[in-house]
Amino acid sequence: MTRVVEVPTYFDDRAFDHFAAAFGDWPPEGKVLLDARGAKWASPYGLITMLTAGQALAELDCEKPLLTVPDSAEVRRYWARTGFFHHAADLFEIHGTVPRAAPATESDVLLSITPVRASHDVHEVVGLIQERAGHILSGKLGIGAKATLGFTMALSEACQNIVEHAGTGGWVAVHAYTWRKRLGRRVVVIAVSDAGVGFRRSLETSQANQFGDRWGDASALEAALIQGVSRFRDPGRGQGLAGIKRYLSRWQGKISIRSGTARLSIVPSWDDDVPLADHLPYFPGSQVQIVIPQQDAQPE
Amino acid sequence: MIHTIPVDRVLRETVATPYRNLVTRPTGVAVRQGITQRMDAIGCSTAALDFSSVGLIDFSCADEVVAKLLLGTDPTSDRYLLLMGLEDHHAEAIDHVLGHHSLAVAVIQLTGDQLLLGRVGQDARIAFSHILALGPGDPADLAGALRWTIKRAANAVQALALLRLVVAHSGRYRPLPL
Repeated sequence: MTRVVEVPTYFDDRAFDHFAAAFGDWPPEGKVLLDARGAKWASPYGLITMLTAGQALAELDCEKPLLTVPDSAEVRRYWARTGFFHHAADLFEIHGTVPRAAPATESDVLLSITPVRASHDVHEVVGLIQERAGHILSGKLGIGAKATLGFTMALSEACQNIVEHAGTGGWVAVHAYTWRKRLGRRVVVIAVSDAGVGFRRSLETSQANQFGDRWGDASALEAALIQGVSRFRDPGRGQGLAGIKRYLSRWQGKISIRSGTARLSIVPSWDDDVPLADHLPYFPGSQVQIVIPQQDAQPE
Repeated sequence: MIHTIPVDRVLRETVATPYRNLVTRPTGVAVRQGITQRMDAIGCSTAALDFSSVGLIDFSCADEVVAKLLLGTDPTSDRYLLLMGLEDHHAEAIDHVLGHHSLAVAVIQLTGDQLLLGRVGQDARIAFSHILALGPGDPADLAGALRWTIKRAANAVQALALLRLVVAHSGRYRPLPL
C-alpha cells in the first residue's frame, strides 16, 4: 500500500503540520509518495522538511519514497534553483521532469539548500552567506553591516545544533522574499532541519528527572530555548540559542523550533503565532525557522 | 613581557584550512589548544590575542577560545590574558560569553586605552581605569585618589585581581605587565 502525502499548495511553516499529519504513525507503513503536483510555492522550511522526511525514511531503511514534481514549470524551476531536486534525487524516486539546476544567482536565494553534517559544513555555510548575503541584507532589508554579522552568527549557531545534537545530518537554506499577507514587507528566512534524535531525546538524560511528569517534547524545547540548558555538563553550553535570541530581540526577529510533537516560538509583536503548540502531529528530528523582517519599512 | 598571538594564524595552522571565521566548537577547541601550546612554548606571562584578521567569531567559538582559556588559567600562576584588534561584533560575542561565566578580560584598543569585557562591577571598573592611569599602588592610594573608603578600594582591587585584570601581591597591585 502506498501512503500519499500531499505537499501543501503553499508550503511554509504554517502548512507544515498538515504535511506532518499526512504521514500518520511514524514510520509510515508501506511506501510513501510525496505528491507535489499541486504545489505552487514552498518556503525554505517547506523544501528542507521534505528532504528531512526522505532522509528519516532512508535512515529507517524504509522503502525509497516517491516524489511527483510540481505541475507548474515555474515552480519546478524555482525548486531546482534552490538545490532541492539535486538533493532529493538521492532520497526519492522522482517522477516528472526536473529542470536542469541553474546556479542560485537570484537574489532571493541567499543560500541554496546545503547539507550540514559536520563542523566544516558550518564553515562553508558561513563563508557562502558572507559572500552573497551582505548586500541583500543591508540593501533590501535595511539591516546594517553590523547586524549582518549577527545574522551570520545566528545562522552558524543554528547549524551547529545539528552537528552537536542531532546525531545525524541535516539541511539549511536561507531565502529572502516578501511576506505580503503575513507581514506586508520583505523578510529573510533561515530554515534548518534535521532527521535526528530531537530535543526531548537529546536532553532526556540530564533533564527528564527535573521535569518529572511534565517531561516531553514541549518541556524539552522550553528547557533548551527558554532556560538555555544543554545535554552537556559544560557550563558554557547552551549559549548558541541564547545568542540567537539576543540577536533576534534587537531586530524584531522570530525563532520557532519544532521537535517531535511540539513547537516553541519567541513571537515578536508583528506575528500572531502562539508561543507554544503541543500535541502536534509527530515529525522526526528538529526544525528551526528564524525570520528577520525588513527594518523601518513601510508595508508593501 | 607581553607576547602577541595572531589568532587568525593559529586558526590556519590548527585547522589547516583557509577559514578566517572562528565558528563552531571543534574549531574553538583546536584554536584554544594552539594558543595554549604557543603560550607554553614561549613561556610568556602576558599574552595578547590579536583578532584583527579574524572574520567572524560566534558565541560557541568565543566560549571555547576566550572563556575556556580564562577558566583554564591556574589562579596561582603569573599568566595573564589580554585581547586586541577586536571589532565591535567580536567584542559583543566575547562579552556575552564572559558574562555568562562571570569572567572578564581587558581589551587593548588602538588608542592604547583598555576596555573591559565581561562581568565586572562598577567599582571595579572605576578602579581599573585609575590603576591604569596611576600605576602600581595599594588600596590606600586608590582610596585616596577616588575618595573612597579603604575597604571599598580594597574590595574593588580584590575583584580585579580575582578576575586577573590586575596583578596583586603582598597587599599591593599593579596593571598587567605589557
